[in-house]
Amino acid sequence: MDPAVAAEAELVAQLQQGSEAAFRTLVERYQDRIYRVVLSLLRSPEEAEDVAQEVFVEVHQTISRFRGEAGLSTWLYRLATSRALKNLRRARAKKRFAYFTSLLGFGNEVLHEAPTHAHPLALLEGQQQLGLLLEHIARLPDQQQVAFTLRHEQELSYEQIAAVLNTTVPAVESLLFRARKTLRTRLQPHFRHD
Amino acid sequence: MTKPDLRSVADEALDALLRQLPRQSQARPRPFFYGRVQARLVDAEASTARPLLPDWLRRPAFAALLGALVLSLSGDCAAGGAAATGPASYQAPHLPAR
Repeated sequence: MDPAVAAEAELVAQLQQGSEAAFRTLVERYQDRIYRVVLSLLRSPEEAEDVAQEVFVEVHQTISRFRGEAGLSTWLYRLATSRALKNLRRARAKKRFAYFTSLLGFGNEVLHEAPTHAHPLALLEGQQQLGLLLEHIARLPDQQQVAFTLRHEQELSYEQIAAVLNTTVPAVESLLFRARKTLRTRLQPHFRHD
Repeated sequence: MTKPDLRSVADEALDALLRQLPRQSQARPRPFFYGRVQARLVDAEASTARPLLPDWLRRPAFAALLGALVLSLSGDCAAGGAAATGPASYQAPHLPAR
């Protein structure tokens, strides 16, 4: 057995026995990866931290049901992406509701849009094109956005992405192809002017 | 430039941008992340340990429905009760004898 796989199985066994030390090891081992993947989908450090915490709380509460059909990191990525997407959908619904209430004239306050956050590092470096790219990635359909983010920001393999999305490698290739085509079309005018 | 040329230029520009993405995403959570997860876990366990009301009653829709049901039933009883007791002076009309 691969030593990494054996170590992961051992960690899962300890977690299922309720070991506090094992849980600490898990959090410290995966916190950066989980935080980054959530941040790349939500673009808000506060929300990303919140969702990353929720992911580990969920792991603690449901580890007894983990049967090891997928790898531990795949399961964590799956929890993280689904929670991040749920947050995104909630934010979009809130935005739509705010828009309708403003159209119907309920309340006189200014349209209370949920803030959209630019990627913090893009802001720091002032890279306009990168900011634009991130903005267009955020507008992709959910599955394409997750696949594209896992591939290009987290550098996961096609097989890993397929496992996280619970789909096949050809389906991942198709998602990435369509995402790239959309991004190229939307960004082409900006490339030509440079 | 021809259309395929434009596409390859756009592809190259997009590839160059995409190569910057992994370097962009090296952010980390704030220090003492584990401590905050622990605190949250304690909160979550405390809130699920002793629910004051049954789960279905904590949903506003069910609570509102229950309230409406109680109100409508109590209204029916009052109306039914009033009809049953009725005013004491009320008498059936006398019909003329044939």
